[in-house]
Amino acid sequence: MSSATWRNVFTYNKYAQITARAVRQSLKESERVVAEKRGVTALKYQQWENGVGGQQVFLNPEEDKGVGKSAAV
Amino acid sequence: MLARSSLARIASQPSPLGAAPKTARNMATLREIELRLKSVRNIEKITKSMKMIASTKLAKAQRAMNSGKQYGLANSEIFQHAPSEAPAKRKLFIVVSSDKGLCGGIHSSVSKATRRAIADTENPVDADSPIMVIGDKSKSQLARVVSKNLAMSFNQIGRDIPTFADAAGVADLVMKSNVQYDSIVIVYNKFISAVSYEPAIIEVVNENSLKESAGFRAYEMEDDVTRDLAEFSLANAIYAALVEGHACEQSARRNAMDNASKNAKDMIDRLTMQYNRGRQAAITNELVDIITGASAL
Repeated sequence: MSSATWRNVFTYNKYAQITARAVRQSLKESERVVAEKRGVTALKYQQWENGVGGQQVFLNPEEDKGVGKSAAV
Repeated sequence: MLARSSLARIASQPSPLGAAPKTARNMATLREIELRLKSVRNIEKITKSMKMIASTKLAKAQRAMNSGKQYGLANSEIFQHAPSEAPAKRKLFIVVSSDKGLCGGIHSSVSKATRRAIADTENPVDADSPIMVIGDKSKSQLARVVSKNLAMSFNQIGRDIPTFADAAGVADLVMKSNVQYDSIVIVYNKFISAVSYEPAIIEVVNENSLKESAGFRAYEMEDDVTRDLAEFSLANAIYAALVEGHACEQSARRNAMDNASKNAKDMIDRLTMQYNRGRQAAITNELVDIITGASAL
C-alpha cells in the first residue's frame, strides 16, 4: 500500500468521496436511499482573474441539466 | 354612486398638506389607503410564511450543526498539539456565506470581518492575500471592495443542509488551485443562540507548516500521509463552518421575517385606523348634508 498511485491523480478528499460513493451504492435499498442524500452536492465554482470572474462550472458536470448560470459576474 | 358623492364630501376635512385641489386629493386618499392596506396585508402573509419555513428549517439545521461541530473539534485537536513555530505569513481567506438573501446581516457580518482581518494592523497580513468566497451574496459584497484579491468563488451551497461532499469538493478545489498560502483562515458565523450570532474564524495550517511543527516532528510520518491529513482536516474545518453558518442563516432569517411581520402588522393597524376615520368622516359629512337639506325644506 505504500506505493499508492492514486496520489498522483487526485487528492485525498476525492479519494474519500469515491470510496464513500462505492460504499453507499453497496448498501441495502432502504439504507441506500437515506445515505445517498448525504452524498449530494451541486457545487458550482468560478475562477477569478484580476477582479473579473470567469465561467461558472459545475464540479460534477453530469448533474448539469443545462439550466446553468451565464458566464462572468 | 352614493359612495362617490360621499367621497366628494371629504372635501370638508382639513388637509394637513394645505389646500390645493381638495376634492381630487382626498378622493384619492381613501382609495390610496385601501390599496396600501391590501398590499401590506399581502406582504405580511408572505413574511409570516417565510418565518414559519425558517423556524422548521432551523430545528433541522441546529441538529446538523451539533453533530457537524464534533468534526471541527476533533479536527482542531491536532493543531492544538502541533502549533506551528513561525507565524503564518501568507493567509488564504475562505469566506463562508450563502446565496440567498432576506436573512438579516449574515452576509455583511462575514464580509466586514474579512475586510477587518485584511486591514488589521496588529497581525498584519499581505494586502494581496487571496480570498475565496462561498456564496453569492458575500461574493458581490467583496467583489465591490477587494476584487483584486478574489481567487475563486463557489455557489449552490446552502440550499439544504450542507453535506460533507460539498466541503470535500471545496477543499479539493482549494488544493488543486495554484494559490500559495501558509495557512488558511475560514471566516464564518458562529452560532451563539437562536437570536444572536457573531463572525468567527477557524485557522487551518497547511501541510508544510504541519511538518515543521515540533509536536509533529516527534513522530515519523510519511509525507504522503501528512498531505492526506492536511487535506482532510481542511475539508473537516470547512464542513464545520458550513453547517454552523447554515444554522446561523436560518435563525437570522427567522428573526428578520419575524420583525418584518411585526412591522407589517403595526402598519396594518395604523392604516386601518386611518381608513376607518376617513370613512366615518365621509359618512358624517353626508349625514350633515342630508340634515341641513331636510331642515331647509
